[in-house]
Amino acid sequence: MNIAVTLAWRYLWGRKLRTALTTLAVVFGVSVLFGMGALIPTMSETFTKVLFASAGQVDLSVTNASGSTFDSSIAEQVAGVEGVKAATPVLLRPVGMPKTSPVSSIQVAGIEPRTAEKVRHYAVGQGVMLSPGDRGVVLLGKSLATQANLRVGGYFDIPSINGTKRYRVIGILGSASPPGTQEAFLTLADAQQLFGEGNRASEVDATFVNGVDRTLVEARVRRELGSDYNVGGIAPGSELLSSLKMAEFIFNMFGVFALAMGGFIILNTFRTVVAERRHDIGMLRAVGARRRTILGIFLVESLLQGILGTALGLLAGAGMAMGLIAALNPLYKRLVNMTVGAPQFQLSSLTLAIVMGIGVTVLGALSPALAASRITPLEALRPQVGEVEDRQRGRRAWIGVGILVFSAMGLVSGNASALGLGSVGVLVGLVLVAPELVGPISNAFAWLIDAVFRSEGEIARSNMQRQPSRAATTAAAVMISLAIIISLLGVMSSIVGGFLDYVDKSVAGADFIMLPTNLLLAGGNVGASNELVTDIRNTPGVNAVATLRIAKTQVDGSPAQVIGLDPVEYPKVATFEFSGDGQTSDIGKLAHGRGLIANGLFAAQNGLKVGQRVKVTTVNGEKTFSIIAIGSDYLNAKLATVYISQERLKEDFGTESNALVLANLSPGADAPQVKRQLATLVADYPQLTLYDTTSFKETQKVTMSQVMIGMYGLVVVLAIPTLLALLNNLAMSVIARTREIGMLRALGSTRRQVRRMVMAEALFLASVGVTFGVISGIVLSYAMVAATNNVGWKIPFYFPTGGVIAAVIAGFGFSLLAAVIPSRSAAKLDIVAALHYE
Amino acid sequence: MAIVEARGLTKVYGTGTTTVTALDHVDLAVQPGEFVAVMGPSGCGKSTLLNLLGGLDTPSEGTIEIDGEPVADMNDDQLTMLRRRRFGFVFQFFNLIPVLNATENAALPLTLDGVSAAEARTRAEEWLRKVGLEDRMRNRPDQLSGGQQQRVAVARALVTNPALLLADEPTGNLDSRSSDEIAALLKQASEDWGRAILMVTHDIRLAAHAHRIVFMQDGRIVDDAKINGAEDARKAVEKVGLL
Ligand SMILES: Nc1ncnc2c1ncn2[C@@H]1O[C@H](COP(=O)(O)OP(=O)(O)O)[C@@H](O)[C@H]1O
Ligand SMILES: [Mg+2]
Repeated sequence: MNIAVTLAWRYLWGRKLRTALTTLAVVFGVSVLFGMGALIPTMSETFTKVLFASAGQVDLSVTNASGSTFDSSIAEQVAGVEGVKAATPVLLRPVGMPKTSPVSSIQVAGIEPRTAEKVRHYAVGQGVMLSPGDRGVVLLGKSLATQANLRVGGYFDIPSINGTKRYRVIGILGSASPPGTQEAFLTLADAQQLFGEGNRASEVDATFVNGVDRTLVEARVRRELGSDYNVGGIAPGSELLSSLKMAEFIFNMFGVFALAMGGFIILNTFRTVVAERRHDIGMLRAVGARRRTILGIFLVESLLQGILGTALGLLAGAGMAMGLIAALNPLYKRLVNMTVGAPQFQLSSLTLAIVMGIGVTVLGALSPALAASRITPLEALRPQVGEVEDRQRGRRAWIGVGILVFSAMGLVSGNASALGLGSVGVLVGLVLVAPELVGPISNAFAWLIDAVFRSEGEIARSNMQRQPSRAATTAAAVMISLAIIISLLGVMSSIVGGFLDYVDKSVAGADFIMLPTNLLLAGGNVGASNELVTDIRNTPGVNAVATLRIAKTQVDGSPAQVIGLDPVEYPKVATFEFSGDGQTSDIGKLAHGRGLIANGLFAAQNGLKVGQRVKVTTVNGEKTFSIIAIGSDYLNAKLATVYISQERLKEDFGTESNALVLANLSPGADAPQVKRQLATLVADYPQLTLYDTTSFKETQKVTMSQVMIGMYGLVVVLAIPTLLALLNNLAMSVIARTREIGMLRALGSTRRQVRRMVMAEALFLASVGVTFGVISGIVLSYAMVAATNNVGWKIPFYFPTGGVIAAVIAGFGFSLLAAVIPSRSAAKLDIVAALHYE
Repeated sequence: MAIVEARGLTKVYGTGTTTVTALDHVDLAVQPGEFVAVMGPSGCGKSTLLNLLGGLDTPSEGTIEIDGEPVADMNDDQLTMLRRRRFGFVFQFFNLIPVLNATENAALPLTLDGVSAAEARTRAEEWLRKVGLEDRMRNRPDQLSGGQQQRVAVARALVTNPALLLADEPTGNLDSRSSDEIAALLKQASEDWGRAILMVTHDIRLAAHAHRIVFMQDGRIVDDAKINGAEDARKAVEKVGLL
């Protein structure tokens, strides 16, 4: 075997504990990257599969470019194209089911019995297929029939815009539905009535004549329909899908972050290792090892650790993905009624995990390895031990100070990109100045720690200050973890605070609110017809009623939801949060011509200004609208949204059903009495849930506190790399001072004193990390909130008190936890062996 | 031609006002097969001289030629190759790699030179037998006594059949019995195996085996005496006034 490999292997094997600890850092990062990289695509794929299961046998699918429904006669146009065998209109909608139903959501498909079977095969197992002219009957998917315990001849209730409708089951499909889908088929006419969609369809499916050139036929269809229609692929517009994408991104970031921490740990370890082996290295050089050989030893060592850590990480990640799917499936099933299958491990995430895992390890070892290769043979002859501190430290600290000054300027400037740079700068700057501050900060904490640890505290402090660079690297790792914890919790508490503020303001006027029950399916929810709204308006004690209607569109090519509101009624009940010069009277201006109000998020994302003209994709092609104001209601602040009048929405998008209803009490009316009456009205619309504003706020608060609890849970996971960094540092500190500890014991230190000495050192390390972490965390959370405001999503800055407390507890708690093993092994050292330790 | 030859060799440590002139215009040559002992009080520059001649350090002034080639013209890799093939080193401390066993340690210069593992092991074992360690070949340094460790170091230094063996106080850290064993080994290296030796020592019994003793003081060579046997050595030492 090559000498570098032999030596690398022997050294690793000779320090099993340290090797294990360092490897653990890699294992953790790789497992997150790989496990999550497998889990989340699996989840979204299941979702996509279910959504588009019906597209299976279809050659071509046509949707409107706006994402909205369109005239079903388009199907005839498609059928007329040369090469198309058959085309059929479909009105497809997910429907949230009432809480009393055995399934939480179903997928309703309105199909045209005359043409449907020419495009897709319906294997009816019991009963019969839908026939042309059928009304009030439903064909159920097998799994829905089983879950709802229905037979042919039974009845099935589906929420409609005019209250719950009852359908007679005339048939049940024989073949199993795609996993997790609960399908119900109605005639197109019934479905159009159910959803208030006139004679519209959401897509047209077509099959081709056998043997035709598919791309040619596709092109012909495209030419026939023009640019208002998307032909071919079905664009997944699901919100759940995009939030899964977001989750995937976040977990990838977290994996990368965990690995970066791993890199820090490796850097620290290898620095110590190089210092420890100065004599060996010098000796090797003296007997004829070239610089390259020395470099090779350390790189091979890191490579071995990288490979080992990555391999274990991949295993752990696979286990984690499978475990999480098993754990999440019940929840997932309840929320969206789907079961996720075994995780699919993709080559890309495997490659990413391997490259990152091994790459970070080798990269972390690179600078210490280069330093090692520069050690002269004379080092073998010098009896002095201990690390030689970096002579460039002073200069680096000044660079750090410079970066901090610039970052501070960036942070106060308020400019979005300066904010981003500034917050990264704060972290980098602190890492650079950290070694200089290790002494002063730990001295500042000395009175506290000494009070508990007395003499051990003093030794511990000087032990740590002897290696300011190593302490600083550990502190930096702790700092970055804690900064992220604090800023995450800070942003969350700002969002929650701002959110509750918003709730207060937005529904300030409204006394009652009727919200879609299944918020998750917001895009596909069945609304309520105007009959319900009229009934509410005529309820004694109700003074004013406003509603929101929703359709999908694209504004200058960017997808957005378009909300229709009544320019006269809406301001009577609720308000808008405006940016700039916008005011409530702007809502009234929606009544005339083609004007819209864009919400802050959408305006910021697309750089929209008041007065600007934009192209909005409607069902009838592109129309030009002018921007009246920038502002938002509260519910839609987080989604890209434009507001137009309900008249316009009907004309341009054909939507007339109401997604959300707000109502106000007349002065002096009996609120509980009115609420009871409203509840009776809404009872037939299980897709809507009635809240009075106070209970609504309560509900929101409860939801928010659940979110916060979830965040605190995430914080624990985020802090794991901190734990590893501290553990690693302390273990190395003990190993490096084995002989000294032996001497202390020989001179009469008790085991307890040695143990407390290591504990105290852990606390000193934590004090430095926590101080840095708290400072940078506060700065980061401020910057993140400011940046959020910059992209048009207004939230006030709330000081992250909870985050700071959590970080302080996590930092010090973990430092003590990390000290458990090293302090024990230090206390248990055999005195004679320790004295002879080299 | 001398194996190493130094002219006007000077080494100054430190900068500014706190400089130490460890070596002050020293001339010295070691001929093939010659056994030279360097003696002198602590801090007089013996180790500095040895390190410079062995190519471990670079002089502040003066020239060193190895096999007639000026060291100043060589890069780090070329110097490394010289150390690997032409020289053998024995130090006072930290001589062995703790994670390698006696054979592996002794074979190190060969392994580094790309000699096949089997051959390197055979040759290392042969030398370990010559230094009397046939029953300790698989032991790691922490399982060997100081004297045994130093014998492994001698085996390692000789395994490449170097032209010159450089030893800096090889017995400085040993008890007198182990010292005698090392002394006997060095004598054998010189007489039986024909190696040139440049050795720093405080031990007159060790120096007595040399052909020549170089005496140093304050970075200068103050005497250079040819000797033959212990009696000569004692006289030379007395003359310089070291005892
Ligand atoms: N790396 C160094 N830096 C500064 N001074 C040194 C260094 N090495 C040796 N010296 C000084 O040079 C002088 C000669 O040292 P050395 O050659 O080790 O002496 P000897 O081996 O004869 O005891 C001493 O004064 C010593 O302090
Ligand atoms: Mg010396």
